[in-house]
Amino acid sequence: MTSWLISLAVLLLLSLGGALWRVWRGPEPADRMIAAQLIGTGGVGIVLLLAAATDWSMIDVALVLALLAAVAAVAFAKAQSADSVGDPEEE
Amino acid sequence: MMALAETGFDLVLCAMIATTALLAIGVRDQFGAVVLFVVYSVFLGLGWLRLGALDIALAEVALGAGLTGLLLFGAHARLPASVPVPSGRAVWPAACAAGGSGLALGWAFLTLPEPVGLQEAVAANLGTSGVENPVTAVLLNFRSWDTLIESIVLLAALIGVWSVARDDAWGGQPGLRQHARHGGVLANFGRLLPPIGFMIGVYLFWAGSSKPGGAFQAGTVLAAVALVVFMGGAMRPPLVTARWLRLVCVAGPAVFLAVGLTGAASGVFLGLRPDLAKPLILAIEAVLTFSIAASLALSVIGPPEDPEDHV
Repeated sequence: MTSWLISLAVLLLLSLGGALWRVWRGPEPADRMIAAQLIGTGGVGIVLLLAAATDWSMIDVALVLALLAAVAAVAFAKAQSADSVGDPEEE
Repeated sequence: MMALAETGFDLVLCAMIATTALLAIGVRDQFGAVVLFVVYSVFLGLGWLRLGALDIALAEVALGAGLTGLLLFGAHARLPASVPVPSGRAVWPAACAAGGSGLALGWAFLTLPEPVGLQEAVAANLGTSGVENPVTAVLLNFRSWDTLIESIVLLAALIGVWSVARDDAWGGQPGLRQHARHGGVLANFGRLLPPIGFMIGVYLFWAGSSKPGGAFQAGTVLAAVALVVFMGGAMRPPLVTARWLRLVCVAGPAVFLAVGLTGAASGVFLGLRPDLAKPLILAIEAVLTFSIAASLALSVIGPPEDPEDHV
């Protein structure tokens, strides 16, 4: 069972390689950011698989990662607004 | 089979970490470099997990992927769209110097004697520390000196950030005036996320006494929550001259120092009596969490910049 969980984690990690390629290539900032969010979400999944396979107290890391990935999205939206302290929806 | 799967995971992860680091350095796009740095922190956090260092993994994803990401996004938004890339001439000597020091470090690491480590000494004395998490025991009891100095370093950093404020803007609210479309996604997100984040931050502080977590991780999460509140336009940051704000920033190191001096009166500076250690550590951590959160959030949001913000 444990080796299955770790193997799934490997698969998930490999799939993030595709997202990493998109972060690198872009070309638009939004492409890079959404790919980074995908890596954040995939990272949460990997942490949960590792937690199930080895040590359940790891799920706290998944919790913090999920929260702060959302915060990064807020910062990205801010950075995309005209004066960098506004909201892209205002325009 | 288990060992094979684990080795495979570690190898793929190492490759991802190294690739992300190379891409972050090599990418020509400024925003791309920032995003790759955030991604790098996520992979590095996984690496710390695989090494069994859960406290460091928490700090890595909270500080690296979270707060430093926020700081770099803000910095990117303020820089000119294109920064000239240095031409090829200086690149090779720099690459040689960096590669040489990397090789020297690797050689030094491989020739080091096998470390004995302090795990056994910590485990033997964990009973007198007042907490069950060995990392918290080291950070707030056995080696609390380092933690005390770190908390003061944060204050010094904040003073440094504030000291670059322009004279006519000083006394106002820190940072530029944040705004968001009323009822828009950003404004709603800024109201939805903070209660969840606040709960996670308080949980991390409380968890720190028995499992991974603690004042620094909790403080970082709370700082991120405060920044989301400000960025979503739900609340303006307090005036930099507000007395309560300064008290919050100073309270953590002050309580820490006071407990340390009480220990000095009974023999050892920063020494904690075993029967009082748990409540003392919790008291220090509780106050320190809010001081760290306030200092970090104010350092990220920057000095006051708007001369019209005076009240």
